Amino acid sequence: MDSYLLADSKTVLAQARAGDPAALEALYRAFETPVYNLCRRICRTAEDAEDVMQETFFEVCRSIGQYREEGSLWGWVRSIAASKALMRLRRNKYRETDELHEDLAPYRREDAHLRMDLEAALERLPEVSRAVVWLHDVEGYTHEEIAAMMGKTTSFSKSQLARAHGRLRRWLGEEVVG
Amino acid sequence: MSHLSIEQLVALREPGVEPGGQAAREHLEHCAHCRDELDRLHQRVARLKALPSLRATRDRWPAVRARLEAERRARYLRRVRLGGLVGLAAAASLALALHTRPRPAGPLAAPEPAAATEISQAMARSRALEQAITRLDPDARVLDGRTARVAQELEDRIAAVDRQLEMNNLLGEEQAREAQQLRLWRERVGLLDALVDVHLTRASKVGL
Repeated sequence: MDSYLLADSKTVLAQARAGDPAALEALYRAFETPVYNLCRRICRTAEDAEDVMQETFFEVCRSIGQYREEGSLWGWVRSIAASKALMRLRRNKYRETDELHEDLAPYRREDAHLRMDLEAALERLPEVSRAVVWLHDVEGYTHEEIAAMMGKTTSFSKSQLARAHGRLRRWLGEEVVG
Repeated sequence: MSHLSIEQLVALREPGVEPGGQAAREHLEHCAHCRDELDRLHQRVARLKALPSLRATRDRWPAVRARLEAERRARYLRRVRLGGLVGLAAAASLALALHTRPRPAGPLAAPEPAAATEISQAMARSRALEQAITRLDPDARVLDGRTARVAQELEDRIAAVDRQLEMNNLLGEEQAREAQQLRLWRERVGLLDALVDVHLTRASKVGL
């Protein structure tokens, strides 16, 4: 991903490590959209996502000297963003149980006419479930990595993913009648 | 016939075989319903990956840059304070050296060596320039990118001179140390002069 997001990434990286403001801004411009997208998919509001994006890039610029090129630059930036977004969820005292959401939106099979599109269904998921779905299914993190980032067990991550897919399946009207 | 649960279907996408995974795979071979469910799961994940990227409505780079700049400046000010301490330490060691140096016998005291006088003058000039910078209050100004880079470069060079001064105080033969000290203090004054110019130019541009 680095190569098409950041032209001449080696030079930009070297200059960014030397503290060159133009190179640091080039890093920001290159990764601004994927970082915001990740933050927005996890955070409750656009404002929260923008704040987390800002914190992410502040950290990226301060710590760029510690990036050892053992993985992709995007992978490194993304791990900072994911970690900060999850931290924001914790700070906002996210709801670990999601019965509340079920209570607010009880599903009935005859509600098929209320099918949502995927974007709306994803947004409707409880925050933790949504974060797990996004990190696992879209960003490609393993359950072990997600559990470590969330300070939870692997089983927790797996069960959140399964429950999230159960809900998405229902809300999208995708259940196979059998 | 009971079908696979959503937990089992989701687990089937994981690499390796989880406990019960083999039985689930065998079930899948004979159950069209569960194969359909698994296909839908795969399609849903593909659609999630294909969702359009969301974009921030506001540019947050100016805020990131301002915070970085504030932090860098705070580091610089800490170094300047350290530089001041180094200067005081240098002055103290110099004064001690002059005081304890054996004087030639005779009714007239030997004149103070020129190097020591010049070092004292350079140190005083250095302090005056630092005070001038403080009065210009660079923290309260937003610098354009080019000016910020020039200021940063000068501040980094001043920090490097401060480190050399610190090392110079610890090592070397006295006369060589004084000569080196004088050279470093002159360099420090030159750099601070340039830094004052940078901030003065910026201040005059914005009419302050």
